[in-house]
Amino acid sequence: MNDNELISQIINGNMNAFTFLVNRYQKLVVHIAGRLIQRHDELEDICQEVFLKVYQNLGKYRFECKLSTWIATIAYNTSINYLRKFKKGDEVNPDDSAALRNLKDFGTADYEKADLHRYIRDQIELLPVQYRTVLTLFHLEEFSYQEIEQITGMPEGTIKSYLFRAKAILKEKLKFVVDDDSLIKVEEISNEK
Amino acid sequence: MKNEELDHILVKSFRSEPGFSLPANFANKVALLVIRREHWKTDVKEYLSIVLVLMALLAVAAGTYFWADKVFFMKIVDFANQNLIPLILIVLILNFVFFADRVLLRLLFNRWSNP
Repeated sequence: MNDNELISQIINGNMNAFTFLVNRYQKLVVHIAGRLIQRHDELEDICQEVFLKVYQNLGKYRFECKLSTWIATIAYNTSINYLRKFKKGDEVNPDDSAALRNLKDFGTADYEKADLHRYIRDQIELLPVQYRTVLTLFHLEEFSYQEIEQITGMPEGTIKSYLFRAKAILKEKLKFVVDDDSLIKVEEISNEK
Repeated sequence: MKNEELDHILVKSFRSEPGFSLPANFANKVALLVIRREHWKTDVKEYLSIVLVLMALLAVAAGTYFWADKVFFMKIVDFANQNLIPLILIVLILNFVFFADRVLLRLLFNRWSNP
C-alpha cells in the first residue's frame, strides 16, 4: 500500500491503516526523538504524542513533500519543544565548546578496543543537539539536504557545516582511542555484521 | 591512521542502529489511544450539543410563556428568585448525572474493556 492510499484509508476511519502507518514509521520517529531527547523512559510518550499529532493533522497534509519528511518534521518539532520545556535552553543551541570539553572526559579503559562503534555512538550522544539531529537525519535516515532543511528549518549551508563539524569532533575523539590494530578488528567485526 | 579509514568507521557507526526501541505492541497502543480520544471528543460534542438544545428549548418555552401569560411567568421568576440556591444545586446535579451518563461512564467502560 503506498502512502497516498494509506492516508485516504486513515481519513476514512480505517484504524488498521493507521496501525500500519505507525508500524511503518515508528523507527524513523524513535530515531529522531531518541537522539534529541536522550531519555529512554520518556521516549514512548513522546513517540505517542508524535503519532497523535500525525493522526490529528493528517487532513492538513498536502502531499507537497514525502510523508516520511512530514512525519519527521512533526517528530523534530515535538522533540525540540520537549527540550525547550523541560531542559535548559542551551541544550537546543549548538555549542562546539561543550562538545569539545567532553573530549577531555573520555576514558579509553571503559571501551574495548574492538567496540569502537559503541564508543562512537556514545560520543554522538555527547554532541550538541543540532549536530546529533543532522547526523541522524542525513546518515541514518538518509534524507537529502533539502529534506533536512524542510524538517529542521535550518539553511542548507548550516546543515552541511554541522555535519562537517560533528564529523570533525568525532574524528578528533576517535584519534585518541584508535590504533591500527583495533582498526583491523573493527573492520573484521563490521564485515561480519 | 589514514583519514579515509576514520571516515569509513564513522560513517558505518552513523548508519548503525542507535539502540532506541519501542515496545512490540506500540502501534496497537497508539491506535487504541487514538480511538479513545476520538470517542471522548465525540461524546463531549454530543453532550454539549444536547445541553445546548435543551437550553434553547427552555429559552423558547420561557419566551412563549412570557408572551402568552406574563403573570404566570412572573410567578415562576419569583419562585426561582426565592429558591435560587436549591435550584442551582438541582441543575448542577442533573447536569453532572447527564455528563456522567453521556461521557464519563462511557470513558470508564472503554478503559475497563481495553486496559
